[in-house]
Amino acid sequence: MSKNRPSDFGSFWYTVGKELAEIPVAPEVESIPMRSTDFADLYGVRLSSIGPYRLFGYLSIPKGEGPFPVIYYVPKNASVLEIIPQGTSNEIRSRYITFSLACRGMRNSDSPYAAMYPGQLTDGLESHETYVYRSIVADTVRGADYIMTRPEVDKNRVAAWGNDNAILAAALHDSITHIVSTPAYLFDPIESVSKTDSYPLAEFGDYIRSNPSNSDMARSILEYFNLRWHAQSITANTLIMADHEDGIYSTETLSDLKELIPSEITLHGSERSSFKDGLFAENWITSEMFGKEVSPIVPEHWR
Amino acid sequence: MVPDPNYICSVEKPEDFDSFWEDVTKTLGNIDIDISCVLDDFRSTEDISVYEVFFNSLDNIRVSGWYAVPSKYSGKLPGLMLVPGYQSDPPIPREWAKKGYACLSVNPRGKVRSRSQFDPGYPGLLTYGIVDRNTYSYRGFYCDAWRGIDFLLDRDEVDSERIAVTGSSQGGGLTITTAAMRKEVKAAAAGAPYLCGYMDAIELTHTYPYEEINDYLRSNPGSRKTVEDTLSYFDGISFADRIKCPIIVNIGLQDNVCPPETGYALFNQIGSKNKKLYEYDGHGHEAGRYIHSRIVDEFLEEHLGQE
Repeated sequence: MSKNRPSDFGSFWYTVGKELAEIPVAPEVESIPMRSTDFADLYGVRLSSIGPYRLFGYLSIPKGEGPFPVIYYVPKNASVLEIIPQGTSNEIRSRYITFSLACRGMRNSDSPYAAMYPGQLTDGLESHETYVYRSIVADTVRGADYIMTRPEVDKNRVAAWGNDNAILAAALHDSITHIVSTPAYLFDPIESVSKTDSYPLAEFGDYIRSNPSNSDMARSILEYFNLRWHAQSITANTLIMADHEDGIYSTETLSDLKELIPSEITLHGSERSSFKDGLFAENWITSEMFGKEVSPIVPEHWR
Repeated sequence: MVPDPNYICSVEKPEDFDSFWEDVTKTLGNIDIDISCVLDDFRSTEDISVYEVFFNSLDNIRVSGWYAVPSKYSGKLPGLMLVPGYQSDPPIPREWAKKGYACLSVNPRGKVRSRSQFDPGYPGLLTYGIVDRNTYSYRGFYCDAWRGIDFLLDRDEVDSERIAVTGSSQGGGLTITTAAMRKEVKAAAAGAPYLCGYMDAIELTHTYPYEEINDYLRSNPGSRKTVEDTLSYFDGISFADRIKCPIIVNIGLQDNVCPPETGYALFNQIGSKNKKLYEYDGHGHEAGRYIHSRIVDEFLEEHLGQE
């Protein structure tokens, strides 16, 4: 396991937060009638993050009287921005405000920086100042800033949903009340690289292999993003979706992360079925947001 | 919800289906493929050489891909084309090269690295130009995948008698159309096939990406007949009877993206006498991948393993 929490970890992230606070969110909101339905309206939102840099997100608001709980789909390590994740029942938009954000480099937020996939995870890894993930985390936090400006939001029910960034969002933004996270590359990243040749973790392996003289620097930079060091800041109720027992981020590997998160936490090992895992997550979030007596809204073939 | 294994989709193969695609492939054949294949040291390892690939496709669109081969081999290698999902970024196929294949992972138009000339976006790709079979996005998108076979045929290290195609979701749909249109394909493994039974899928499930079509129909009232007509030329079920090579198909019976009913309907129309369906109860859109990946390995080994 990694034991090298950077000595200036707190000041590093304080500086990012300060930099972000100096940039107005400056939202521009545009209706997207084509993706609006009888039960929800869809909007395209542009907002500013550090740089300043303009980002894009999809905001869906249920029809009717709020406030509504929120699912914030945090930026992914992939080029495509979805309104809601593929395979999610579109009807969840009748129950939740959903907000999906493209961090810089993803489609719709790719001007002037268009990231490659693979490629994004090691862009600028030469130094703390140039590593792109610092800005991507800022973008992720900025998404939470924006959500909290919306009058329709129930501020007691704001979930961050996605990969490692869901944990980072909650660690760095105290408005997040719930987390559904599937860690994929930022829990002890360097230690995990040696266990796999699969992307996205293999990106770090490619970098270290190709830049041996910079490998120590890369390792030290990645420690600022290691979920291990962010875990203690989490206050949100948390669901961690782990790999199956043979995977890199199995329940065994992530048991360390579970121990470090002080809030209420559930660690679910994959059942090697997107149906069973997906249903587990939908049941969890519904129970957390609405109580055990309310059924989740799931796709037809999961009923 | 228990899917009916005898489900029949509503799509009807157009009478001029073959002539339409013959015209398209003829146009494609007249375009110089102009292959670029450059070693990518950064993504290569001691065991695997990775190349960044570009070639020309329909409408002179430059299509990219990743090509991975074992660094050391003797004789000719079996060739494999890996076709991508709808919204996922095409992977670097090092795992397949490790298994001894010369593997092309193709990035059709609109995907990352192939989007400088055509980029309808996501959502968007599924309905772009849907008013006309000659403008529909998948006319070129399919050709981009088929051209990947030409790339493999161009490589000296690839045994042209041992070429296969595989993919899941949209990759499953592209596997179907490629196996149907390219006789050089000797084996095909399609998972959770997308782009099959479109008009049924949009009733059977309400999830993206198929939901893009419902969005379109809602926004363009009166367009349903036009949309049906266009999609009948692109539906994997319309291609299925042309498939003659050995093929396996896997579906998840709780698939929330590509309804299993459409998988059944597709499989029942496949023309190959050597076909097998693997149904995974208790599985969603991953269609039993954890179990099924070994079956795909064995299937490809059986049909491509011997030089």
